[in-house]
Amino acid sequence: MTAQTTEKSLNKRVAEVIEENRARVTVLAVLLFLFLAAFAGLEREDWFAVIMQGLSIGAITFLVASGLSLIFGLMDVLNLAHGEIFMLGAYVGWTVYTRFDTALDIVIPLLFLAAPFVVMPVWRKVSGRLPTDPTPRRVASWALLAVGAVVTWMTVTRFPLAIWDSGDFTQSPGNFSTQVGLGILAPLTPDTFQGAAVVAVVGLLIGGSLLAIGISAFQTHVGEIRPVTRRQVGTAATLIVAAIVLSVFKDSLNQWAFDLSTTWRFFLAMAISVGVGVALGAFIEVLLIRPLYDRPIYQLMLTLGVGFILIEVVRDVWGRPEFSMARPALFNGTGEGCPGQGLGGFFSGCSTVQVFGARLRVYNEGFVILVGLIVLVGVTMLLKRTRIGMIIRAGVQDPDMVEVLGINVRRVFTLVFALGCGLAALGGVLAAPSIGLSTGMGALFLLGALIAMAIGGLTSFPGAAAGAVLVGLLQTLIIRFGQVGINIPFLAEPFEPSPTLVPAASIILMVIVLLVLPSGLFGRGER
Amino acid sequence: MTALARTESGLGVWFRRRRGLLGVIAALVLFPFVISFVVDGAGIAAVLNNDQGNARFLQGLAIEVFILALYAISYDLILGVTGLLSFGHAMFFAVGAYSFGIALKEFELAWPLALLVVLVAALLQAGLFALVLPRVKGITFALVTLGFASVFWIVIQSSDLADYAGAEIGLQGVRPPVWFLDTTNERFAFYLVTIAILFGVYVAYTRIIDSPVGKVLHATRENEDRALMLGYNTFWFKFLALGIASITAALAGSLYAMHQPIVTPSVAGLGFTVTALLIILIGGVGTISGAIIGAAVFRLLQYYLEKWFGGTSDLLIGIAYIAIVLYLPFGIVGTWRARSLRIKAGRDRLLGVFGGGQETPPPAEE
Repeated sequence: MTAQTTEKSLNKRVAEVIEENRARVTVLAVLLFLFLAAFAGLEREDWFAVIMQGLSIGAITFLVASGLSLIFGLMDVLNLAHGEIFMLGAYVGWTVYTRFDTALDIVIPLLFLAAPFVVMPVWRKVSGRLPTDPTPRRVASWALLAVGAVVTWMTVTRFPLAIWDSGDFTQSPGNFSTQVGLGILAPLTPDTFQGAAVVAVVGLLIGGSLLAIGISAFQTHVGEIRPVTRRQVGTAATLIVAAIVLSVFKDSLNQWAFDLSTTWRFFLAMAISVGVGVALGAFIEVLLIRPLYDRPIYQLMLTLGVGFILIEVVRDVWGRPEFSMARPALFNGTGEGCPGQGLGGFFSGCSTVQVFGARLRVYNEGFVILVGLIVLVGVTMLLKRTRIGMIIRAGVQDPDMVEVLGINVRRVFTLVFALGCGLAALGGVLAAPSIGLSTGMGALFLLGALIAMAIGGLTSFPGAAAGAVLVGLLQTLIIRFGQVGINIPFLAEPFEPSPTLVPAASIILMVIVLLVLPSGLFGRGER
Repeated sequence: MTALARTESGLGVWFRRRRGLLGVIAALVLFPFVISFVVDGAGIAAVLNNDQGNARFLQGLAIEVFILALYAISYDLILGVTGLLSFGHAMFFAVGAYSFGIALKEFELAWPLALLVVLVAALLQAGLFALVLPRVKGITFALVTLGFASVFWIVIQSSDLADYAGAEIGLQGVRPPVWFLDTTNERFAFYLVTIAILFGVYVAYTRIIDSPVGKVLHATRENEDRALMLGYNTFWFKFLALGIASITAALAGSLYAMHQPIVTPSVAGLGFTVTALLIILIGGVGTISGAIIGAAVFRLLQYYLEKWFGGTSDLLIGIAYIAIVLYLPFGIVGTWRARSLRIKAGRDRLLGVFGGGQETPPPAEE
């Protein structure tokens, strides 16, 4: 008796929910029907493989789209440089993974250069002595910047750099990548400082200080100057000491990194990529986006400009634009007992695994999806369970109100921007072993992520996840159909879309979903 | 008699009001001769004979600027004046370029017929964009239009249409149908044609924007709900703006198909929409003349940076964009207009001190 009533009320509630979200339910039902109809034409092992491949692409798209939608939701900035940050993450990860010695060589001067910027109040005090009239002050700051740039450039080139020569086969990035795959990579002969090391280090510190003074002099309004805190001095000192320690123990560190198994080096690459993404995100937000919060179209332009610059930087710094990256050893095993069987096969150390008759790659269809899930759960926990997450969710609804309540929203903005860029960089380094590196990879995944975000309702975090999965599934499904052919009624021959037509399918899906549900699957109606 | 006199005086006023514009046009027409005379050391005949040299080359560069300006003007009408953020504007341009080229090359139509095809195609795509207008707004509209343009971009470079559109390489081998559209053999004539079209469109656009219709478009940008409440069906006005912009951009595309040996699919990509956005940001959003100046700055900056710095020019262009966005918030023309008020006020005060000047009220912003 009681069971029946609860069942009845449950039915009623389901009916109400369906009634409220009729358009959403219809869209989902139609999509489900399409997927089922698609799978009806495939073998069982085929559709399992297609779903897993789709989830893999969806996971990477999700890593880009989640940051995009968090940033857009909180601060209404559509960050069009997100794809390029994804790309940069891949390149940084590649460098740490294949050429640890080069990465280390780049980090050391960067640490020296960053140290003066930490103690900004000191430079504010120095630049306070400059003339206060706007024109001479601006001239002085530009002059300082120019001198600082020259000094920095002259000293940075004195630092040793284990650089590869992309023209020489034995030194080409592709060759390094193969060597990593075979486990025979050795560090290049270590380079040394040009001239005295002390001159280079001191010169770089002076150059950094000049740059910092120049930047601080742009602030024409000289208000109350806060004294430098002990923590800032401590941070700067730590950076310098860390740089010195790194350069002293460079050779042994390199040896340690090259003796490390590629799996651990891959995790190291992931961590460093995320760190670079976070730092870059914070840098972009503070220096470039912040002055433009009241001019949305200009923000679009600005992020586009940043994107152009990042592509060019990658092209100039890494030389040749296209690299491949070997899979880490844990996911690259072959030989006896491979491919692994069943779900346990994912842990057998083989490169492929046989599940339900479908042959899957452990890295692409196992590890990538796993990381995507971890990030989904982690960010959801961050949003739902922590205080900062509460502020973010409140900020998405009404940033002004949050600010009125006495919370420093600007700091949360920086944090979310940095977090989003970090996630994109993580996506880049995850995607690198499966799709390779190219300067166009950013634009490709940005389009997918924009679509995922739009399908999910622009500002909704779970929506971005659902949209990314849909986009990934649809893309792989259409590729599969391109091979099999679609049986369209009234046509004698099955229609075989050419591979170039594949991305069009997911875009058409986006347009249809947006036209039926202008606020997306998970978005609220107001927007 | 009196009626004739009135029209004459009306025309006189019209010309006097636009004497700056007429001066610019005259300067542009004379420009190749001056270059030919001063830089090449050749005579006037060199320009008319289409001789190789700086004059001919600079005419080509100027034609590119005019085509870009025409394209950017149309984007300014829908973004700057009407306030519709569309990310699919490159499609307007590419449809013009491809339909004109294919109509001439594959179907061998006479050029007025081909232009008619372009017109119909332009109206059709304006209809397509207008179809989604009532349902989506703001950034969602931008994404939907981006979707349309991306689909078009993918379709024209797919191998299924390779016979017509030439897949990834692009449309090539379009012969000029008539002598004044022949950029290789009759460059000066083509130069004059592009000048005539650009400034004709410019005058027409300023006329539209100053008309009551233009006021409603402004009202739509500023506050659509209010415009609706005042009894204007803003949908039709937005449709009109889209239609005019689409025809203008398609016209620019047709000229592009005449001027460039190959129409690459990249003119349909997001990058080309961004070009339009950049041009009007450089020139000044919502100021139609800003689009022309922005196009000149954009193309010349691009050309000379690439010439002087080679591979790193893209990096410098990116930095230049960021600098423009941060330091020229209203674009060149917008900033100039904002400043010119102050300059005029200062001049008036100066004249007032010497007792000769008349107080002129500051001109109202449009």
